[in-house]
Amino acid sequence: MEELLKLCGFEGDEAAAERPRIGRAFLKLGISAEDIERGTQRLSRYYATELQGIRKILRLLVKNMVNTVLAREDGKTKVIYGFMIPGFSVFTSALVSLSQEIHAAYLCPQFQIILGGIFDKMSPVLEAAEGKWLKSGMVAHCGNVKGLVGLLVRDLIPRPDLLITSGLLCETAPKSVDLLHELYGIPECCYDTCQDREAGEYPAATERIVSLAAKSLRLVTRKIHEEVGIEITDDMLQDILNARQGLCDTLGRVDTFMQQGDPLPISANSQILWDYMGALTFSKENTPEAIDAINTLCLELEERVSQGVGEVEKGAPRILAMLPSHHTDPRQDHIVGELGMAIASTDRIFDTSDMKMPEDPYEQMILDIMRGSLFHSAQRRVSLVIEGCRRLHIEGLLNRCHIGCRTVTGDALLIKEAVSRELDIPVLFQERDDFDSRVYNHEQFKRNLEVFKTMLKSRSGEARVP
Amino acid sequence: MQDERLARHLQDRPAQLREAKENGTKIIGYFPGNYVPEELIIAAGAIPICLINGGDTLPLEASLSVIPHIFCPFARTQIGERLLKRNPYYDMIDMFVAPITCQHLKKAAEIWEHYGDMEIFKLGVPHQGNNDFELEYFTDRLRVLKERLQILTGNKITDEKITGAINFYNRMKELLKQISLLRRSSSPPLSSADFLKLNHASYSADPAFMVDTLESVYRGLPEKQPVTRTDAPRLLLIGPNISDGDYKVLDLVEEAGGNIVIEEVYEGIRYYWHTIDSRGDPFESLARGYLQDRVPPAFMRYSTRKRLDFVLKLIADFNVSGVIWYELLGCETYDAESYYFSRKMEEQKIPMLILESDYGMAGVGQMKIRIEAFIEMVKGGLE
Repeated sequence: MEELLKLCGFEGDEAAAERPRIGRAFLKLGISAEDIERGTQRLSRYYATELQGIRKILRLLVKNMVNTVLAREDGKTKVIYGFMIPGFSVFTSALVSLSQEIHAAYLCPQFQIILGGIFDKMSPVLEAAEGKWLKSGMVAHCGNVKGLVGLLVRDLIPRPDLLITSGLLCETAPKSVDLLHELYGIPECCYDTCQDREAGEYPAATERIVSLAAKSLRLVTRKIHEEVGIEITDDMLQDILNARQGLCDTLGRVDTFMQQGDPLPISANSQILWDYMGALTFSKENTPEAIDAINTLCLELEERVSQGVGEVEKGAPRILAMLPSHHTDPRQDHIVGELGMAIASTDRIFDTSDMKMPEDPYEQMILDIMRGSLFHSAQRRVSLVIEGCRRLHIEGLLNRCHIGCRTVTGDALLIKEAVSRELDIPVLFQERDDFDSRVYNHEQFKRNLEVFKTMLKSRSGEARVP
Repeated sequence: MQDERLARHLQDRPAQLREAKENGTKIIGYFPGNYVPEELIIAAGAIPICLINGGDTLPLEASLSVIPHIFCPFARTQIGERLLKRNPYYDMIDMFVAPITCQHLKKAAEIWEHYGDMEIFKLGVPHQGNNDFELEYFTDRLRVLKERLQILTGNKITDEKITGAINFYNRMKELLKQISLLRRSSSPPLSSADFLKLNHASYSADPAFMVDTLESVYRGLPEKQPVTRTDAPRLLLIGPNISDGDYKVLDLVEEAGGNIVIEEVYEGIRYYWHTIDSRGDPFESLARGYLQDRVPPAFMRYSTRKRLDFVLKLIADFNVSGVIWYELLGCETYDAESYYFSRKMEEQKIPMLILESDYGMAGVGQMKIRIEAFIEMVKGGLE
């Protein structure tokens, strides 16, 4: 345990103080001594725990998970969960800054990374959901939603006083949240927009759907007010947005080091760790801790880039990977680096800046979301990927396709065809569930990557996108 | 029971539409789900055609070149038909109205948009639907659709024309409702397949001809012999979609001695339970009618309980003794809901059978056996 805690950034007095709580949470989650030993090995092998920044981020994720599992024991009278709800961290940061009786957690990245990525123990959670309404098989329910349902139906986390989701990307999340309400009496709410932007009507269409979603999000904060008795004012939201701006800016710098560093300064595997820092709820007092973790990582990456130190050798083929790293299975991104390819970026950070930032804090939050690659229609997303490949001198595309998600899966073959046609670079198509390590054959993927690398090599020199 | 005149009309319809098109009339295609007001299309002097073909595996195979298998067979059919270019309706459309409903049809529309060979209007459907600002959004989108239709057709759409079209379609809905309600009788004069085929016809037939046909069918039905034995188990069919051509489940139920007396199906059945208010601002009436005054499909937010309440009412009104839940493979919201409904039906002591289809023949044998066993079970419960 000590070694594991150390790799997760807990040291000295804090490690000693937190150990009993972490132990209790692990016990509840079914993490045994054997799991801890294996998890420690996986941490060292798959994540860049030699970096202080990574350890600090892991520490915050572990704390978030433990605080969630023990929320009721800790005396939290109001527990609020967010699921698939961008912006959740902003308004709940306002809440937890005002009341220590509230625990707010965005689910389920902390569980997917720790319980899944580190301990490889997500399968029982997924199976619990499959025993309910998210059955396995051809219907391809999303492993992320299974994670939420599994954690709740197995009572691994306390039943919340409010569960909030959004329908910005899919119907599966709101439907499951609705069923959790109907079957388990969990209070719910959801915010929405309309995904009806046509290719030719930007930016007017963005303004239209941002305005709609902002109105819908206001209803969510009204519901929170009803449930916890705290009103979130516009000024409070703006304060939090301002306080978190440093975090967002630094996260952007980290992405830039990844995109521009040659050699790639850190395994893309660790990307999933900082990806979710923006989604975690921090009180105003705790926000500097999060900024410090990302700043530390940023400085370490900067140093690596300047020293020419990296995860793969200099000049390794630069590839773009669709979607973030696998949430529960670090082997999948790790093998890419092991075979000498550099995932320079993922499309999740490609965005459009076609509308100036509005004054309304709700619209600011929504616009920030709606700019992202995943929220655009297929045609727009294809253009973003092509532009991104050109800008970053990408030599190959790892076209990961999360089969549990209709939104992204529906674009995958169009992207493959357009990238091959317009850029003439190799494309490797990978069907997987981004949250379920069971839907994966490591040896087969490795063989496919070897062929992909051969294709990249055979085109090296001639294939760099002009 | 197919009306001969109607059958001939449907056969001749593509040629009629081609002729109309040559004479300058615009053809407006749209996806089913009852979110696209045909009233606006008619008011623009254009012809609405709802694309509801399904049940065939050939378009599914064709679609796999652009969309993965996890999409429902109906959405994939829409993509495949465009690629195959064998169905005249898919090729004669001047503008396509894509209601942004479930992710499956949304993506099908995006793929069409990506190919860029057809004008597409995306009609945003707010997924909660019950808030004023959402109603306003939908109303605004209908006004934009009006503008787009005016530009396309060169015809001015007046409020009077829209109100006239509302009244006209209200008549069609009333007739469908009257016909459907005849099935409350212990000796229904038409089968579910008869009703669904009439309903499907209303999506492509000339609307005036269709109203005339429905009137004639309704007048003639009381004289018809019952289509099934009076002791056949009375069943409710629930599901996301019954497309034009996907009649396998209906045939199997009939062959097994069951009688589907009412359907709660989202796509493929014209929503006929409510009419549109023809007083006041027609856009607000259309928006309210299409978005709010209806039973929400499973993809809509907070819809589960509302749908259950509606289904329980149907069960009581139509004296239903068993439920067949027919979903398309890949339809995640209906699949999730089937778990909830099966439990609720169990509480009500109503047997429920869940079936899945990918339009293929491979599963038909098993489906047949399961339906036969289910109907035997329901019969046993009735005795």
